[in-house]
Amino acid sequence: MIISLDGITYSHRTGEQELCVLKDVTLDIMRGQSCAIVGSSGSGKSTLLNILGLLSRPDSGEFHFVGYDMCSASSDVLASIRNQEIGFVFQSFNLLSRLTALDNVALPLSYRGFSRNKARQHALDHLKQVGLEDRVTHLPSELSGGQCQRVAIARALVGNPSLILADEPTGNLDSQTATEILDILLALNREQSVTLIVVTHDIAMANHFDRKLEIRQGKMHEVAVARDDKHV
Amino acid sequence: MYKASSHIKVTQIFSESIDNLNLSKRRSILALLGIIVGSSSIIALLTIGGNAADEAVRIFKNMGTDILVVGFPYSHQNRQPLPSTLDSQALRKAVPGISQIAPITLHSAQLSHNGQNTDASLVGTTQGLADAIGLKFNAGRDLSRYDHRETFAVVGARVAKDLGSLGNPLRVGDLIRIDNYLFNVIGIAESLPATPLIPIVLDESILIPIEGMKRLRPAPEITGIIIKADEADLAALAEVLNSYLTQTFNGREVDVQIPQQLLDGLRHQASTFSYLLAALGGISLLVGGVGVMNVMLMSVAERKREIGIRMALGARQRDIRTLFLLEAVNLSIVGAIAGALLGVAIAFSFTHFSGWEFTLSIMALPLGVGCSLLTGIFFGLYPAISASKLQPAEALRAE
Repeated sequence: MIISLDGITYSHRTGEQELCVLKDVTLDIMRGQSCAIVGSSGSGKSTLLNILGLLSRPDSGEFHFVGYDMCSASSDVLASIRNQEIGFVFQSFNLLSRLTALDNVALPLSYRGFSRNKARQHALDHLKQVGLEDRVTHLPSELSGGQCQRVAIARALVGNPSLILADEPTGNLDSQTATEILDILLALNREQSVTLIVVTHDIAMANHFDRKLEIRQGKMHEVAVARDDKHV
Repeated sequence: MYKASSHIKVTQIFSESIDNLNLSKRRSILALLGIIVGSSSIIALLTIGGNAADEAVRIFKNMGTDILVVGFPYSHQNRQPLPSTLDSQALRKAVPGISQIAPITLHSAQLSHNGQNTDASLVGTTQGLADAIGLKFNAGRDLSRYDHRETFAVVGARVAKDLGSLGNPLRVGDLIRIDNYLFNVIGIAESLPATPLIPIVLDESILIPIEGMKRLRPAPEITGIIIKADEADLAALAEVLNSYLTQTFNGREVDVQIPQQLLDGLRHQASTFSYLLAALGGISLLVGGVGVMNVMLMSVAERKREIGIRMALGARQRDIRTLFLLEAVNLSIVGAIAGALLGVAIAFSFTHFSGWEFTLSIMALPLGVGCSLLTGIFFGLYPAISASKLQPAEALRAE
């Protein structure tokens, strides 16, 4: 078991008002599973992904990640786990605009104490895996959306994470590129048995995953996957 | 407990911080300017202040540090006349630790020689004066103890120049008329800058044996004594001297001054002044520091999303803090070095054009550079800490 949530609640405070985003979310995810989190916008699926990615802390409830208690962990430990166990893929890519594709991919390794050269060597290997070895010295602004997302995937993979979290990874891409990106992610899950959790509002896309979790008004429901749709 | 691998090295954060500054050059330069102005003004003002003090002290320097000047202030209570001269032997015996004694009596006189006339102060004294005040001779010799009956004279530099004429300068052996007496020139002095601490202006004076003053002036009284000490404790010597002279001169008020003490006071005052100037520089550095803080806060606000991304990729709070702190420190290092160069250049040209001697004050460079670095760290700390305290999820949402 890689993730175990028990009774997680999270409220968003804006001034006086307190808006309850997640209510009593309980969830177990096994190693190597692929999950889609779906729901209408504002339902709290990104909030859940932030909690799973250790980017924000829940208000209450229990959260164990690969067996470790995340609620009592220090922020340094959370940073280390993000660095070594989790790879993020964002809708808007979130590449550092001032760094080349290579340095963007190498960045997580530098936070692990790798020397610049060693980190770049690993980064190059992973850029090759996503087919971008000829775009190494380009800045993100010189790359297409699909290429940017591949750089982001290479960055997520460079640290050999056990979990990949993707927040609407195809939301900014055209349908053909979206399919390519989704194929890359699913192939990773299948071939390297990396646990994959993807937030999406695309129901058709959600059907390609092992599990489908729907969030409605802060509550989570497991939904059956329409198996016959699954291609490849 | 989760076992983390090793973390990013500070050297790597350092090289990243330099890259970041290079990428926002214009803003970095603005922050730099503040630091440069602050650090250069500290260094320039301290150095200029120090050089000004040296210059003021240098005027008094050549008269030595072992001199006592005795004066006899006029008072209504005791109008006891003073003798025309002083028994140097008796004084030497009564007050140990004296190397030279030169009583002086001061008058003014008109001199003439070879058709040239000039006014000069007429100084009756004995041998020992030249040694005590560091007087050197262009020609001839000092008064000696065997001269007290003679009409001999030692001429100050300006007086000698006035009495000589082109092609016929005043020479040793020439005769100078003072009132109705002819005095034989036995020495011509080198120019000696006037100091307010010694009651005679040597360049404007003519020195004659003190015993001979009676020839020229009725009832001459000694106006002062210049004493060169043998021992280091001038204050103790001054006290002994005071009580001896008070007794000898029938209770006349005696004022023993130690020029060294005045000199020390002067130096102290000058250094106080230069620290005041440095404080002024410090204020400009403070303004520069606020500039650094401003630039860094802007940078943090602008790069919120980058901070979020870095955190998501595994940067710890301290890594973010170090990154931004190093950016501020880099700015102040560069600013401090540039400011040091500029400050020294300003101080050098200022002293050069003032005609002073340039010495780099020991305190100026470390103080200026150190203060700039501290300013950078101090004003960089708040933005860096506020950057590191951002919540990753929140930072990632930023535009």
